[in-house]
Amino acid sequence: MQDAITTLINSSDTQGKYLDNSSLERLQNYFHSGELRAKAAMTISANAATIVTRTTAKSLLYTDITAPGGNMYTCRRYAACVRDMDYFLRYATYAMLAGDPSILDERVLNGLRETYNSLGVPVGATVRAVQAMKEVTTEMLGAEAGKEMSLYFDHICTGLG
Amino acid sequence: MSLVTELILNADSEARYPAPKEIRIYQDFVKTGDQRIRIAKVLAENEQRIVQNGSARFWERCPNTPSNCGNDRKTASCQRDQGWYVRLIAYSILAGSERPLEEIGTVGIKEMYNNLEIPIRNITECMRCLKEEAMSLMSEEDATEVAPYFDLIIHSLS
Repeated sequence: MQDAITTLINSSDTQGKYLDNSSLERLQNYFHSGELRAKAAMTISANAATIVTRTTAKSLLYTDITAPGGNMYTCRRYAACVRDMDYFLRYATYAMLAGDPSILDERVLNGLRETYNSLGVPVGATVRAVQAMKEVTTEMLGAEAGKEMSLYFDHICTGLG
Repeated sequence: MSLVTELILNADSEARYPAPKEIRIYQDFVKTGDQRIRIAKVLAENEQRIVQNGSARFWERCPNTPSNCGNDRKTASCQRDQGWYVRLIAYSILAGSERPLEEIGTVGIKEMYNNLEIPIRNITECMRCLKEEAMSLMSEEDATEVAPYFDLIIHSLS
């Protein structure tokens, strides 16, 4: 995986150069946003289960997906869905701390769409759920940190779509 | 690899959120961001000076060495390497981790210089000179941040 710092270091190193002023400025912005990121990570960590519960209630619970014949029908499938929501939230939080989406690509999205297709998990409903998670998280974190997290929830949706 | 990536990969290997202690380490790291950028700038702007003055110091202590043998090409490539180490240290300062320096510049360092037939004792001394020169350009606080990375190079040569 990469983060806001290592991407800049790696691209400078392949040219044998120090970080130029625009890279240093980006780094400075990242450092200055660090406190916000740390606080957001702590809040999400303390409320992860609540976020997932609210997300499911908001986007999945009262739709056909939980009824017989739906892909969340049977407790086993329901549990697998909740587990995946947990994963999305945790990896989006990692990416937000890193200031870079690469960990999502490498550890969540790589092959996910194909897996979901083969398991019959509807991608449309998954995307709706991730969007709902974005709203729930933003409500909890406030606009500024919510906006930062949204980048990574949207990244998941784009990767699935 | 940076302190941030290290911390995330650690948490992920146990499928958990970063622990309070790790978040505190992260907070301390980002708080020192301005200092890190300042140090990286000093190293970037003074690389030539560190290398030139460091070499002069080194040749005084160790006159019989490939970079001082009268072959300009050798001198240039030795000094180019020295400049690279200053750059790698700047990366590590920004990353808050020895990993960039290790990954790019110290894993295999002994084997490489042995292969180049450059005496390890000389490089070690040269690194000490670069360290002294770099530290002399900085406040005590900044120098304390930089010194361990030169020491890491020196240790990996021993």
